[in-house]
Amino acid sequence: MAQPTGDVAHQIAQLNAARNLVLGDAAFYPQIINGILPIVGPNAKLEVRRWGADFLAETFASPQLATAQKEQLAQNVLQSIQETMLLPETDAAVLQSLVQTAASLYPLIFRHIVNHPEDSQSWEKMNTIKQDILRRMDSFPCPVKICCVKFLQRVVQVQTPGLIADPRRPDQNETSLAIVPRNHAVLTIPHLEAEASGLLDRLLGVFQEETSDVLLVNATLNCLAPLIRTRQSIANKIINNVLDFYPAKHVRPPFTPAVRVGVKSMERTARALLIHILKKNPSHPLLGKIQVYIERLMQSRLEVVDDASRKRTLPVEPTDGLDNAKRARLDALTPPVLQIPPMLPGPAAYDKLFTLTQDHGLSSFDVKQLPPDLVVKIAVPLLAQVNPLMLTQAVDAIRNRYQAVTKEQNLARQQMQQTAAAADDDDDYEPEYQPMDVAENTAEEASAVVPEVPEFQPELVSLGPFVLPQPPPLSEEEAGEVGRSAVARVFSMINVAETDSPAKNKNQQQLGFARLAGSNFDRDAWVLLLTRLATRAPAGLEGGDKLGKKGSDRRQPTISDSIRETLFQYILEDFRGRLNIGITWLNEEWYNDRIQMKVAASKRSDEEESESTVVCHYDTWVMRLLEGILLYLDSRDIKVIVRFLSEIPEVTVNITQKVATLAKDPERVNLCVQALMYLIMFRPPAREMCLNTLEDIYQTYEDSRPAAGKILAKWRPQQTQPTEAVTNGASDAAQPAAQPAAQ
Amino acid sequence: MAYDPRRVNTGSTTPQTPPPPPPPPPESATPEMDTQATQEGTDSWKLKFCTVCASNNNRSMEAHLRLSAAPTAFPVISFGTGSLVRLPGPSITQPNVYGFNTTSYNQMYEELQSKDERLYRNNGILNMLDRNRNLKWGPERFQDWVPGAPRVDHAAKGDKGAQGTEGGVVDVIITCEERCWDAVVDDLMSKGSTLNRPVHVFNVDIKDNHEEALLGGKAILDLANRLNAAAVAQRAQHGTEGWENGSDAARLSFDEKVPEILAEWQELNPNLPALWTLAWL
Repeated sequence: MAQPTGDVAHQIAQLNAARNLVLGDAAFYPQIINGILPIVGPNAKLEVRRWGADFLAETFASPQLATAQKEQLAQNVLQSIQETMLLPETDAAVLQSLVQTAASLYPLIFRHIVNHPEDSQSWEKMNTIKQDILRRMDSFPCPVKICCVKFLQRVVQVQTPGLIADPRRPDQNETSLAIVPRNHAVLTIPHLEAEASGLLDRLLGVFQEETSDVLLVNATLNCLAPLIRTRQSIANKIINNVLDFYPAKHVRPPFTPAVRVGVKSMERTARALLIHILKKNPSHPLLGKIQVYIERLMQSRLEVVDDASRKRTLPVEPTDGLDNAKRARLDALTPPVLQIPPMLPGPAAYDKLFTLTQDHGLSSFDVKQLPPDLVVKIAVPLLAQVNPLMLTQAVDAIRNRYQAVTKEQNLARQQMQQTAAAADDDDDYEPEYQPMDVAENTAEEASAVVPEVPEFQPELVSLGPFVLPQPPPLSEEEAGEVGRSAVARVFSMINVAETDSPAKNKNQQQLGFARLAGSNFDRDAWVLLLTRLATRAPAGLEGGDKLGKKGSDRRQPTISDSIRETLFQYILEDFRGRLNIGITWLNEEWYNDRIQMKVAASKRSDEEESESTVVCHYDTWVMRLLEGILLYLDSRDIKVIVRFLSEIPEVTVNITQKVATLAKDPERVNLCVQALMYLIMFRPPAREMCLNTLEDIYQTYEDSRPAAGKILAKWRPQQTQPTEAVTNGASDAAQPAAQPAAQ
Repeated sequence: MAYDPRRVNTGSTTPQTPPPPPPPPPESATPEMDTQATQEGTDSWKLKFCTVCASNNNRSMEAHLRLSAAPTAFPVISFGTGSLVRLPGPSITQPNVYGFNTTSYNQMYEELQSKDERLYRNNGILNMLDRNRNLKWGPERFQDWVPGAPRVDHAAKGDKGAQGTEGGVVDVIITCEERCWDAVVDDLMSKGSTLNRPVHVFNVDIKDNHEEALLGGKAILDLANRLNAAAVAQRAQHGTEGWENGSDAARLSFDEKVPEILAEWQELNPNLPALWTLAWL
């Protein structure tokens, strides 16, 4: 069997050529694999066996080769692996590759057996290999053991039920216990599952070791992700095992740099795994626990690993005598830190400058009351005891204060000079413009004072209160703009208050008549404020304006109009929810109109003014709002329209006619009629008006007749008859309505 | 089968197996056609490396250059983990952005040269791209990498360091920033470790500028040499005696030595904080 050395090299070269061929085109794999198996078998030279094992591992891991082909090739390869393993093979490199190959083969063979229960021989071989690996795992050298970890993971993954993605296409499903039929001849599910559970415990056993093997822990942590992702039944168990594992606790005391590398590595890997899990499933049930664990890891890392880095930096420091002196200072007594309160507010003064105590009694105590000899008696021993450090601090504090104050004063002086200069300039440009007396006076005063102040005099005492100059008067547009922005702000308050709890409203309702409008700051209060702002606040003011400028074109919208416009928009945005705001508003408008009319009437009798001084906002806005709502009303909105019509303070002909337009739309005919009916029944003052409208509707729109006829028959029996007769022949639809009318 | 296959192995290998432990530089320096790989095909076994940074331009490419140009001429591939390739532009808010896997270094070079040669010459971008275009075609994104997918064409195109990476797998990944390490470890978990092949993932924190990249590249080569020496030693050792005889600490396997190697290396390079884990391809 032994071959000359040159032969081996030649053989390897040939094998490499073959490998290059399949790397270039995966279609050659079957041919090449079957060709080389006898060459790289158990009896070949070490080099060749290594090459062969490598190649097999590569082949069955290759993403280029289709699973089906791998499955076919696997049969032949199994035999070879089994024989090599049973030798027993001793070379770590070969074993490493073989275990890798076995890990890749396991799902393939498993799947093959699921589909071909008759081929129990392959399963036998696979099982022998598996048992051999599991038995020898603990005695394998480290590199092989690492690969065994992965093999374990593969077996667990295969023998645990996974997800069935699509039951109709079994070939698409991932290889797992879930694809094994219940009555499989070779594979017994409970047995396999139990084995997997045992192997999982073995896999996770690394986390329980007293002293962890860094490599095995990392290898395990890094291969758990697919299990957690795809195997629901064991995911939590795995995570909990990881969460119970604190790397820093699993190392032995001699903390060599290598051990620190290991601890840091395990911590970072555990963290990476958990973050990976959270990333894939941000709403993981164990989220809280995982986050706590990650935080704890970070902390322990600070303690253990960064401790290491701190220690490592020590030798870098100079170790001469100077250094020791420096260090000694660290333990020196630090003087008590003096609490320096900020200088008291108000104009600066010497007493304030030097007051460091916050004790009011002490600072207001007049020392002059004491006899001088007593002062001396107290002061001398006190001075002797003064802590020099404290004194330095106090002196520094005073110095800082003094500098701050002088700076402020210089600044103020500069500003005053500037304003004086500015005032002069202004005079040049606009000689007739006299903004405010105050501003100019102060400016003059300042300019008058400045030259008199001597440079050296500390002005601590001369600081007077500072007066802000008056702002320039607002133009009308600006005022309007400001007003509108104020209104916008109040509206934003409504939106904020919108989410208020209904409980508050209940309380308010319990107050009944005793309540005060706008007394609690919920939405209603703000609405009320707004409506009154719009209606009452400028009443009389704007009216008067209009009087004066009557005849000229309409002025730009007044504040109240803009509030109204905004309110209108606001209500329309969600008229179903904000209808009550609309009603409140319209009531306020109506009430305001009444008041205005009353005032105007009294005025009129006094001065005989023209009659149309009162603008009736109610009529305008009720129509606009109604128009707006009607556009969007659908046939089920009967409650909305009935509420609106019944709660507005006054129903006019215009309103009923507007409502009547609803009847144009065959879908909303009933809505219209029902709304009118409600008014007829429950709003007697508007009854006649509504009946008239209803009659019109009845006449105009055929669709309305069944419903409208009934009401008319009840409320206006005598008038319906003739029209009935006229239309009877024309429309059969009216017939059912006519009958009750006749009875 | 009357013979003991073990004896056959040991018997036949003893004369030829003390394979020269020092990595044979002369052979790899003259990479011949793979098909004609002579004896060194077996002996010049080396670790395969992968370097990763954000844009696969500065740090990972400097390391790529170092590793591929070393006397040992490591097999090396390189990637970026960012969403896009970002190169500095005229201001911090106007970076030059390119897609991974679709833009070659040459395209970038020519585009930036025509945009503002003076600027990009002075900030070193053109020099960097010039170096890169001599190494491989263009930046590749780590997340788009399919481990195990053959990279024969890369070798055929003459990418530096492609010799030995035809199988599309590596033994060691070295990232240049913690963010990239996190991204790599996370991505390997997402890929599901279908190859069942272990891979050591290191991070060597390097600031993203040319000077630091140079220093970092050197340090990475140093780390690579140390790792490779350990791996080669293990391969040689186990070939002859088998692990059962190697009981003393010096005979630790390559994998077991990794934390020690890294700790040693870290002592020498305290300014390049390192991190490591053992993940799966």
